[in-house]
Amino acid sequence: MKKLVILATLLSNLYFINAQETGYFYGGLESNSQWLQTDKGINFPAPEDQFRANNYILMNYNLGKFTAGAQYESYLPSALLGYSPIYDNQNNVATYYFNYKDENLDITAGYFYEQFGSGLILRSWEDRQLGLNNALKGLNIRFNATKDLSLKAVFGKQRYGFEESAGTIQGIDADLSLSGALNIESVDIQLGASYVGRNQDTEGNEALPTTVGAYGGRLDFIIDNFYAGVEAIIKDPDAIANEGQLSSNKLYDGTALQVNAGYAKKGLGINATFRRLENFSFFSDRFAEGNIYNQQVINYVPGLTKQQDYLLTNLYVYNPQSRLIIESFDQRAGEVGTQFDLFYSFKKGTTLGGKYGTKLAVNFSYWGGLDAEYNIENRWYKAKFIGKGHQLFRDINFEIKKKWSKKWSSAFTYQNVIVDKGIVEGGPLGNKTILANIGVIESTRRFDDGKAARFVVQHLWSDDDRKNWAAGVIEYNFSTRLAVYAADNYNYGGENKTHYYSVGGSYSKGNTRLGINYGRQRGGLICIGGVCRFVPENTGLSANLTVAF
Amino acid sequence: MKNLILFFCLGLISLTSIAQNDLPNVDVTSIDGKTVTLKDSTNKDGITIISLWATWCVPCLKELDAINDLYDEWQEETGVELLAVSVDDSRTVKRVKSMVNGKDWDYTVLLDTNNDLKRALNASSIPLTILVKNNKIIYEHSGYSPGAELELYKKIKELSK
Repeated sequence: MKKLVILATLLSNLYFINAQETGYFYGGLESNSQWLQTDKGINFPAPEDQFRANNYILMNYNLGKFTAGAQYESYLPSALLGYSPIYDNQNNVATYYFNYKDENLDITAGYFYEQFGSGLILRSWEDRQLGLNNALKGLNIRFNATKDLSLKAVFGKQRYGFEESAGTIQGIDADLSLSGALNIESVDIQLGASYVGRNQDTEGNEALPTTVGAYGGRLDFIIDNFYAGVEAIIKDPDAIANEGQLSSNKLYDGTALQVNAGYAKKGLGINATFRRLENFSFFSDRFAEGNIYNQQVINYVPGLTKQQDYLLTNLYVYNPQSRLIIESFDQRAGEVGTQFDLFYSFKKGTTLGGKYGTKLAVNFSYWGGLDAEYNIENRWYKAKFIGKGHQLFRDINFEIKKKWSKKWSSAFTYQNVIVDKGIVEGGPLGNKTILANIGVIESTRRFDDGKAARFVVQHLWSDDDRKNWAAGVIEYNFSTRLAVYAADNYNYGGENKTHYYSVGGSYSKGNTRLGINYGRQRGGLICIGGVCRFVPENTGLSANLTVAF
Repeated sequence: MKNLILFFCLGLISLTSIAQNDLPNVDVTSIDGKTVTLKDSTNKDGITIISLWATWCVPCLKELDAINDLYDEWQEETGVELLAVSVDDSRTVKRVKSMVNGKDWDYTVLLDTNNDLKRALNASSIPLTILVKNNKIIYEHSGYSPGAELELYKKIKELSK
């Protein structure tokens, strides 16, 4: 309540002091609710709270260089299925901020979202679909010292549900345009350096460090059509924790290295990424390490694979493995791998391009565990730089998009994926591997006045796990505002021959959108932006309303 | 409950007090990594289309591909400009440059890597397409279905008069 009074006072002060200047309000509302039902077909008993809703209302007020805002959230009577239980039965003002911004200075007090470099060392962000909001609460300053040098600083605690983290985070980041500072025109060079530290009470355990820091550097350059970048981070030694318990008092340091290079010109784009992570997890509370709800993460370690577009191509997805685990039923030290992308447009009027052109996208990724020796008794390990670690994930996929005429267009996707079963289900790694081939054909037929129909047929071939699947989607747009769809994933090769059907529709007008769906949700990993959460299989009715104002 | 009432009151004030929204004062980055103030990137004389998209968002790509086929014509007739603001985060942002080139788009592409603009516009889902004139938001549409680009162009013609 206190927060609210402070905020209201700030807002009203702004409003009255500057009555001659007109400010404006903006913000939005999002309401996601579900009504779960018992479904014997997939062995889903409805939980006690059958109706669940997550609501968010964000309000901002801007007046010249000042902005203030707050976000109210409610999870009543419980948060949606699969969200962290810390949200259940809560409702309150979750975040608020006060910001001043001019050309060279940007200061935020309260809750803020910030990112250093690619986020590998620090990123605070919000993803409502994932139930993730790790905003920092404190002070954030961004300052352009010269036209080529910009500085950022953060200081504060991290949001944890409606509470805050045990650790305090401090960080500074500098970004320098070297080519700008030295007036080099042929090459564009950018340098960056960051420090992020976590300060946490050791509760009398003298073996633990009070402050754990991470130090990063990055370099990016562009020469004509070619570009490349490298980012490296080392993290101070810290104890490793598993399920809220320290594994031992022994400390281990961590490292991360990411290299990216690409070539892009009109009609052609190529990009390649390499990343190696060794014991690289960073949480605002050391005991939060490895929690399955992605709470209290300081940095952003996404799975570097293609985010697939269709029902069946999202069955077997990758979840990054950055942790060190020695004293458990399996050992791991991190991951190393690569991703490659190619985009190409066949020009209009050529044989392959046809009248409207043809677009091709190819993607490859390979991720393996680090090749390491472990001495469990002495709590010791040693990892090779690349080595021959166990394969965790491998994906090759092709996508062709083709417009046939003004009325018809199609997309074809083929994917060949291999994944370790422990990645998909979250268990021990290295026991079983799943190989699957997936084909997808999508066609769209346009009619007049925004009417359109879309058809998708998909098939997944596999001798492993739940064997073969077939899926289809039919969607019809009555206008650009109103659409309905019906979809089914049918696991006909598996033991239970299960249909995961769903029907729904959406209506959008201006900045308001309402979507309603009924059906079965296939359980498993739901991944957004390379961060995943597990959702149990369930059946029910869900509604999503978003309004921006 | 008290909180809720207060929020609804605030909500009511906001709904009654705004007629037009300013474009949020947010920084984005150019595809070469330079910081750019969004307000400085808009079309000074006419209408700017700002489209929030991502490399992994199929309807977004369909929309931008569809507009790309008509873009020359639109620019000739109305002088409209399109800013394609990618909300890809660092997982996929490296694919933006290669994809934009591979797709042969003629748009100005900007990056909103930590979603500052997406939050400021309260875009819960993308694509979100907005029309901006004199740095005021004059039209918004979320989602894409085939043919929506024609409706958008009707709006542009109407509003650019």
